[in-house]
Amino acid sequence: MTEQGSWRTTAAATGPGDRAAAEEGVRLAYRRAGLAEPERIVWTRSPREAVRTLMTTARPDAPETAALGASVRDAVLGDPWAAERARLHAELGPQGWSGHWRATGAGLWESTRTLVDRVRAGIVDELAGDRGQETQVRLLLLDAALGQHDAAWLCAFGSGDGSPLEGLAAVARHAGWWWPYEKVAVISERPLTLHRDEAGRLDRGDGPALGYADGFELYAWRGMPVPRDFLDELTRLTPERIRGEENAELRRVMLEYYGYDRYLDESGAVPVHRDETGVLWRVQLVGDEDVVMVEVVNSTPEPDGTSRTYWLRVPPSTRTAREGVAWTFGVGAEAYEPLQQT
Amino acid sequence: MYRQGDVLIVALAESAVPEHAADAASEPRDGRGRLVLALGEVTGHAHAVVGPGRLVREAGLFGPMLLHVPDGARVVHEEHAAISLPKGWYRVIRQREYVPGSVRIVAD
Repeated sequence: MTEQGSWRTTAAATGPGDRAAAEEGVRLAYRRAGLAEPERIVWTRSPREAVRTLMTTARPDAPETAALGASVRDAVLGDPWAAERARLHAELGPQGWSGHWRATGAGLWESTRTLVDRVRAGIVDELAGDRGQETQVRLLLLDAALGQHDAAWLCAFGSGDGSPLEGLAAVARHAGWWWPYEKVAVISERPLTLHRDEAGRLDRGDGPALGYADGFELYAWRGMPVPRDFLDELTRLTPERIRGEENAELRRVMLEYYGYDRYLDESGAVPVHRDETGVLWRVQLVGDEDVVMVEVVNSTPEPDGTSRTYWLRVPPSTRTAREGVAWTFGVGAEAYEPLQQT
Repeated sequence: MYRQGDVLIVALAESAVPEHAADAASEPRDGRGRLVLALGEVTGHAHAVVGPGRLVREAGLFGPMLLHVPDGARVVHEEHAAISLPKGWYRVIRQREYVPGSVRIVAD
């Protein structure tokens, strides 16, 4: 599965790629689709900038519309994919295809799909001033090929030398989203920064989790979208400010950033139960359900010999530490009895 | 029942193994030939099984997965001590966390 590893790296790649190689990929994709090569290839610094450019150029009353030509996404990308998928389906059978997808693209798709959705939502947010514009932005987003974010499909389909998808794969290795039109192809650079947590979710506490060269940025904490100003405030939190936050999701992020341990300490919370699996804490919040957490000590010591303590939030109905830890694994308190823990 | 960080591995009696598991396709092995129970997206650290065996994904968002190790196996991870599993069937469960209105997995 080294192939999967390489596509995983491609999907998360940042910084400029090889523009010449990407452009060659675009031209090859047009040729493989039986089309004339685009007359011009235009680079933008982000998919937002690409959509903004296209919004002006592709407006029906704009004089430049003729210069762009019609979208050829179906011919360049949709049709070859459908053909490749049909070919693999016929060759492997439905069960074989499903196994093949799991072995190749499935794991990549889970992590890139969320990212793609967030980028789309961010672009709609920033560029759609009214309903008419929103429709236009959404339609333009449908015209996009996803470049590096098409990694899951390119991993599942054959995309090597001579494959119908060879050109698309070349673009994906060096660029972000791109828009194929008859006469012009618009390509976006990859992001400059991408910060994710171990689960693959956008995550950064001190800056944009995803940022492009033109300033298009997305802020997120463990996958949850947060406003930019919100992050600045995180470094100046107090227990009172956390308690006073009315938005439950933002308050959750504040608690995580501040540290449950510190918050518990400073807000005078007391442990409500303790057993060999850990300690159960309860914090009452005004106008919201209680925060109930189990404090667990990692079984494997850190390199410096200390043991890492961590907190996991559990349902408010939890009564004992054992019940809480067992819940995090979806088993009953009486059934939770590891023979060995590391 | 064994626990390595955020992964719980629960022994299953042969009679409790779902019927479909026998014919179901196994999850692919990684580049190092291991069965990956859970992968850290950023560090690439993995809870992984070394040795012969099969891993079958069950329906559902976070798994669980079924693991069959006919000769027994070792579960390894870059930051946790290895665990030896006796031969047999297991259910592999990722740790989760309560979030009001939803549930999310834990990334350790």
